[in-house]
Amino acid sequence: MNAEIICRPGNAAAKVSLGSEEHVTAEAGAMIAMSPDISVETTTYKRDRRKGRIKKAMKRIFAGESFFLNHFTAGSGGGELYLATNLPGDMEAVELSDAKLIVQSGSFVASDSGIEMDVGWQGFKSMFSGESLFWLNLSGSGTVILNSFGAIYTVDVKDEYIVDTGHIVAFDEGLSFAVTKAAKSWASSLLGGEGLVCKFSGTGRIYCQSHNANAFGQTLSPLLTPKKQ
Amino acid sequence: MKSLIDGAPSFGHVHVDLAKGESVVAENDAMSSMSAKIDLKAILNGGFFSAMGKKFLGGETFFVNRFTNSADIEQRVTLVPPTPGDLMEFALDGKALYLQKGAFLARTPEVKMKVRWAGFRSAIAGEGLFRLMATGTGILWFGAYGGIVERQVDGELIVDSGHLVASEPGIKMRIRKAGGIFSSFFGKEGLVALLKGSGKVYIQTRSVSGLASWLNPRFR
Repeated sequence: MNAEIICRPGNAAAKVSLGSEEHVTAEAGAMIAMSPDISVETTTYKRDRRKGRIKKAMKRIFAGESFFLNHFTAGSGGGELYLATNLPGDMEAVELSDAKLIVQSGSFVASDSGIEMDVGWQGFKSMFSGESLFWLNLSGSGTVILNSFGAIYTVDVKDEYIVDTGHIVAFDEGLSFAVTKAAKSWASSLLGGEGLVCKFSGTGRIYCQSHNANAFGQTLSPLLTPKKQ
Repeated sequence: MKSLIDGAPSFGHVHVDLAKGESVVAENDAMSSMSAKIDLKAILNGGFFSAMGKKFLGGETFFVNRFTNSADIEQRVTLVPPTPGDLMEFALDGKALYLQKGAFLARTPEVKMKVRWAGFRSAIAGEGLFRLMATGTGILWFGAYGGIVERQVDGELIVDSGHLVASEPGIKMRIRKAGGIFSSFFGKEGLVALLKGSGKVYIQTRSVSGLASWLNPRFR
């Protein structure tokens, strides 16, 4: 499988080329176009891994993802598939080789057959991280496709780095984060509006989204009129 | 200090690399990420009364954040405006630049921000009674919802309400109808700003109020 991200960063889509009989698993509703001989199968579990399928699907809902997954399998001649999401924003194709990536719920778009998916837990601190309580753990070797609101940029962390709450897309397993105050003092953190941040430590790469959907929502919502009953 | 704007015009954000001892001042909640070696401190947005003015009149916040690198090697902070859109870096060299409400993102510490009376004409044109004036010598970053068009005005330029982002001091604002009474009403252009004088103006290609007016009837 080969993934190329097009139309970055405003309205990104993933152009996925599948070899003969290759398959890719995507969240429900992500497909925007595909070759006619690609077959689609909808299940609650990742293909070839039939253990605990309902349990995993339920867990995925907690992680803010879709209950069902779509599996796209190319015919003998291979095929092409375009994947995108509802929000404007960026996408990123991450290559894993026997590694684990921890993905913020809602950022997962697709992964190829070499990737195992499970729902992970980063502790109750996630409640304050601006992300959902549950995370997706993607491990194995292959390609993972992620999406974000805003452009995705990467930070290679060697010791410590701070990411504002609501800006995490994914990070390598070698990193862990703690939720802490943005400045040295609580007064500075709160008065400056930064409040809580996620402080990463360890070695690895963080995928950040430049923008925060909540900040945009706060700008837009005063201009929206209440819904008529 | 080095800076790099990325993701523009749809999702502009700026990476600022600070050398030892250097600082950058950014609006409330503008930080997307930063090195853990950078010190963040909330400071008054100017003096007390100036900060009050900026909060209640200039559409800014009472406090702003100062990011200072106290480490020996260069450290990065990434700043982003609240709305998706373009981002502009502007080098001030003693001249002033007027910013409309909400456009300010960040500045180097030498740049001073003041609230200035923009006038009733500006309010009627949908641009607010007050605006911010940046002065000094340094770098200023401002953002917009939509792309930013830089336009040199020598004479006159008509700008629809809500689309002006920034302008140089040589520009004065007048109010007029977009066309005749018929087109002003039915053509949905209404009152527009007539910019007169000589200098650069910055216009945003979208407006948040335009998005809201498109969304509102669709939420029924």
